[in-house]
Amino acid sequence: MAKTKGSSKKQQNRGIDFKKIKRKIGRKLPPPKNTTNTEIKSKAIVLPEQSVVSEKAGLALSKKGLTLKELLQHTSHHNAKVRKDALMGMKDLFLKHPEEIKLHRYAVIEKLRERISDDDKTVRENLYQLLKSVILPGCKEDNQGPVISLMMAYIFNAMTHLAIDIRLMAFKFFDLAVEYHPPLFFSYAEKILQNYEDILQKNQFYLEDRGKLKNVLAGLVRCLLLLPSSKEVNLLAKNVPEQKILQAFEHDVPTVFAEYSVIIKKLKNLVPVLVNCFQDFLPVIHDSLDAQSFDCMLNILRSLDHAVTFFIHGVQQGHPEPPPVDQSFSSVLLKKLLVVFPLSPMHHLSEKDDDRYVILNIAITEIFMHLSEWICPPAVLFEKFLTFVEYVLVEKSCSNVRSGKAVREKQISTLIPFIPKLVSRVIGNWKNRLLQAFTKTFQDCSPESSVKLACLAAIEEIIISQEDLLCTDVNDSGQFDYKITLVRELPKLLVLLGNRHPSSSKVVLHLLLRLGQRSLLYDDMQGLLKEFYSTDQDKGNICYGPFLRLARDSQELSICCLYYLSQLDSTLLKSIASCCLCQELDPFMLFRIIEVLHSTYKAGHIQISDHINFLITLASRYKVCPENIFPATDRDKKTSNHATFKSLTSVVCSCLSQMGDNSLVFVILEKVILEQISLKPPLDNSCAMLRILIALDSKPTRLSEQSICTLSNVLSAYLIDVAHCVPEYNDESTIHEQTRRYYLLPSFILFDRSYKLLNLVLNVMGSLINGRSSSLLSGDHIRYAKGHSSIINAIVSVLLWMQRDAKVQQILYLYKEEIDHISRSICSLQSSEEINVPIEERHIIKCAIDRLKTLTSSLYQ
Amino acid sequence: MEEEIVIASSSIDGGIGCWDLQTGTENLRYKSCASPPHGLTSVGRRFLASSQLQDAKAASGAILYWSWSRPQVEVKCFPEEPIKPLVANSEGTYLVGGGLSGNIYFWEVATGRLLKKWRAHYRAVTCLVFTDDDSLLVSGSEDGSVRVWPLLMIFDDHQMEQASQLYEHSFQEHTLRVTDIVTGYGGGNAIIISASEDRTCKVWSLSKGILLRNIVFPSIIDSITLDPGEHVFYAGGRDGKIHIGALSADSSSIKSHWLHIIGSLSSHSKTVTCLAYSTNGNVLLSGSEDGMIRVWDPKTHNMVRVFRHAKGPVSNIHVLKRPAYLNPRMLSNVQVSSRRHGLSLPPPLSKYINTMDEKVVGAVVNLQATCNNPLDASCTSSQVISCQIKELQQQGSAAAAEMEVEKLKLDSTQAMQMLQRWKKMYDNLHEFCVDELLEGDHVKSAN
Repeated sequence: MAKTKGSSKKQQNRGIDFKKIKRKIGRKLPPPKNTTNTEIKSKAIVLPEQSVVSEKAGLALSKKGLTLKELLQHTSHHNAKVRKDALMGMKDLFLKHPEEIKLHRYAVIEKLRERISDDDKTVRENLYQLLKSVILPGCKEDNQGPVISLMMAYIFNAMTHLAIDIRLMAFKFFDLAVEYHPPLFFSYAEKILQNYEDILQKNQFYLEDRGKLKNVLAGLVRCLLLLPSSKEVNLLAKNVPEQKILQAFEHDVPTVFAEYSVIIKKLKNLVPVLVNCFQDFLPVIHDSLDAQSFDCMLNILRSLDHAVTFFIHGVQQGHPEPPPVDQSFSSVLLKKLLVVFPLSPMHHLSEKDDDRYVILNIAITEIFMHLSEWICPPAVLFEKFLTFVEYVLVEKSCSNVRSGKAVREKQISTLIPFIPKLVSRVIGNWKNRLLQAFTKTFQDCSPESSVKLACLAAIEEIIISQEDLLCTDVNDSGQFDYKITLVRELPKLLVLLGNRHPSSSKVVLHLLLRLGQRSLLYDDMQGLLKEFYSTDQDKGNICYGPFLRLARDSQELSICCLYYLSQLDSTLLKSIASCCLCQELDPFMLFRIIEVLHSTYKAGHIQISDHINFLITLASRYKVCPENIFPATDRDKKTSNHATFKSLTSVVCSCLSQMGDNSLVFVILEKVILEQISLKPPLDNSCAMLRILIALDSKPTRLSEQSICTLSNVLSAYLIDVAHCVPEYNDESTIHEQTRRYYLLPSFILFDRSYKLLNLVLNVMGSLINGRSSSLLSGDHIRYAKGHSSIINAIVSVLLWMQRDAKVQQILYLYKEEIDHISRSICSLQSSEEINVPIEERHIIKCAIDRLKTLTSSLYQ
Repeated sequence: MEEEIVIASSSIDGGIGCWDLQTGTENLRYKSCASPPHGLTSVGRRFLASSQLQDAKAASGAILYWSWSRPQVEVKCFPEEPIKPLVANSEGTYLVGGGLSGNIYFWEVATGRLLKKWRAHYRAVTCLVFTDDDSLLVSGSEDGSVRVWPLLMIFDDHQMEQASQLYEHSFQEHTLRVTDIVTGYGGGNAIIISASEDRTCKVWSLSKGILLRNIVFPSIIDSITLDPGEHVFYAGGRDGKIHIGALSADSSSIKSHWLHIIGSLSSHSKTVTCLAYSTNGNVLLSGSEDGMIRVWDPKTHNMVRVFRHAKGPVSNIHVLKRPAYLNPRMLSNVQVSSRRHGLSLPPPLSKYINTMDEKVVGAVVNLQATCNNPLDASCTSSQVISCQIKELQQQGSAAAAEMEVEKLKLDSTQAMQMLQRWKKMYDNLHEFCVDELLEGDHVKSAN
């Protein structure tokens, strides 16, 4: 508009005086001045409000502002571009509003399914993407069956479409449908397999378009994978159900093989087609193998493999199958497929291609192995495959440097499960050769690889299943050697795995347990197992093994293994004990270890002295923290392992008392305990020792004279420490009372059993006060109470507590003199030391004398 | 209701105690028995048999028999190796023992023949039980496996050769020694529960051969017993408690830290070593390490009665119906009869399989002296039946005897009628005479 204005002004400026009319040749004449302008100008009509638009306000819109309804209408537009755009629009609408899918899924699918056989390629592609990435995942949690079965009729329609592209695409759609709703396959199996058969028979096109064929075959593999095989049955059996009701009604799973008769018939037709299809690829093989045809071949082989395992499963289930048909079926495979083995390139190729050949060969081997369970293949062929298996196992371990290791490992782990069966089947030299190759693979592969896991499963089968009760045939020594080598590897592996691969460790431990249950563990493996628990470095440093950091169930498994060793040696027990003493160990596990070791002892796999040493070590070395419990704060209570130690003490006591004749055990125990208790352990550990002693002792005591002497020194110091650590408060709470009682009770019981001990203890206390005993050994036993006044105070408290205990009080009457002696010594001390004793101490001593007086007076009453 | 008795033995020699469950009176104590757990069994309620604990070095085991009437050991058998668990089928025709090496021995009681011996486990067998229909034998072992042996299979040589294994199921899930097994009702369709030192009890289905439930306990379970309704089971733990595990009971309502454990009975200071359930009295019995047998009311969880058995741990408890021999009324009678028979107990069990014997296929002979016990009348031996047949043949059939009786009855009724008639006639005559005499008197006085 502005431009036209400008130009008209110029014209006006110029043409006022001279009117010069210039005409260019070929130009049209200007319109005559009197013409009528017939142009019609109009502006866009904008209606501020209209009914359709107003509805949009609350609705979900795509980027282009279209509602779902409009988009669905557009999908059946005659213009391919519009259809495509509509699909794209739906995609971003659903991404923005996922809830829309759930609300309108039936409507959407009903409309979209028409597009499965769309003529335009891009529309189909877009539809596929839409279904795959948005719609099907979107309604995953709901019942998908009805949604997907809505599409099936259209998919089948497309499968028989004239245009080959649409047909191939239909298989892709079908693949998608099965992926999201596997039971679908079984409801349409006959039709589907027929369709596959048809398309694979028309082989004029697939040499041109292998990418599409690959898709078709991938769908077939997926379907056949759904067929039951013996592997799955095994897996099912291993699952431990955790149902609420014990004898619940069970859903019928289609296990009856007869239901599959239709599928069998169809599959029988399909197998030769697949084999032919594979043969068509053979010419390609001999010059070069591109990725597309490799994928196709691999998929064909996999489909065949699934079909074979399915048949074998059927045979095992006892399905009545006419044998001649089977013969023809297997002969097709034998003659056409297996004879081409091994596939090898004509000239040397790059490593990547080489790997491809190996993978294909392994796939063929798998088929052969499955088939050989069913029919007896010719020996020559068998030999060929065995050579190949051995070659793969050995060559792989030799060529670690080569690339494609990851690929290879995955492939090898599929071969390894066949080894146990092969070893049991083959005859002569092959047994050893296979075992050798297998052992080498097992030793060489890295601990965390999948091959290792597969090997472990195979070892279990080789060693355990074949040494079953009824097959106790003589094993030749060669095989036996390999088995020993394999078993010996396991503890090493366990240490190597550490705590980084808990699941693998669990598998190994499980295998060890299984071996142990069958008495196949060797005692000299204990040295290796020790590393798993803990090892003693020099200078008392303990290096803990992976045991401590594993999960509880693995820990339990490893402890259970110990039960099955025929003789646990003391060094292994030592390393377990140091694990038990570690603070990191769960208390539950600590008690479990004691429990299992005690059972092991009962079964006669631990020597009595070793077991006693183990238990006493726990009681004497277990670190109670905080050492001094008073005054106890709430924070302490949470972190304290006091309660654990208490129950540990009682567990140790009950174990020791169950060991056999108490008096005999006591004789062994007496020396050990006195030795330990003289080492001045912390209060709690001393208490535990005394408790163990009284648990096995009887009334009157069985302690020897000498031990009573030693004990009197220890005990007086112990009592003084108790009095010091658990002081009396004016506001006696029951907790304090209980704690004190816990510490005092064992010594009181000892006094009750041996009056002489009390006498000696009183003597020691008397001499302690006099200060004469500072040179004596006993002074060293006092751990906590320091200083004269505190010792005196403690002694007085101990005496008062004794008096309060009904039983000990009776005995105290017998030893009035000793108590007199004590009180006299305190009095004399007070008088003699009056000069150089600080005033607080003097006060304490004075209080003590007062308390003692009440005691003596009550005794004389 | 029949009276029940409790028998119990200890692992330390304390004899076999025998009490009346209702009254609590102690009967005879059978001397010199130190049996391992599961080592005591009553053979068809005719006599007691127990395996004996031995020194580890002992080359052969020992199984002893006691008859009900005498406290002394009557028969001593010395099997090939030490036997721990010992069990008899409900009729008492077979005795099965599990050896230290993992072998199971199968004897015929009446003849003492060792019928079969097979390698059942890798390690020592720890417990053996029959299902209630005696068709399956379930064994547990130190190696943690539980195996189910159909007796049909064991005696079928042909099938044995064909099958790869003898057992019907082998449950391997336990990681440690199996301590006890109980079987439910229903023969081959029953459930079994196994307890192990790995602190778990596992419930298995015999028909499907699968693990139904795994229950983890707070301590090792040494013994289990079933509630008669299979509602719950009782598990005696090393912690001195009797835990109650749920089977068909609803455990969801109980907020417990332990899944499927709905409660416990406790007053034992020490390990519970064995359990038994008396269906008649509806009481639970538990034996403990301190030598006491406690009787519980499972409803109220209260202790009802205590039997003191021995100083050592109680290793076995069984609740039996009172055998006739023990009946005080019949005791003297039985003693006489047993002396008269001269062979109250069968011969000792043989050590090895005697191949010569195998050719003689004798009928399964149930033990003699069944006639003394009216309860056992239903199971009569073939000998007794043949005897009866002979007698009948000699004396005519029962029908004939019946006719005879009818005839005699008829005779007796006829005689009775005759008697009545004579009596009536006599009465008439008597009346007539009296009348005559009285009239005569009247006439006289009138005159």
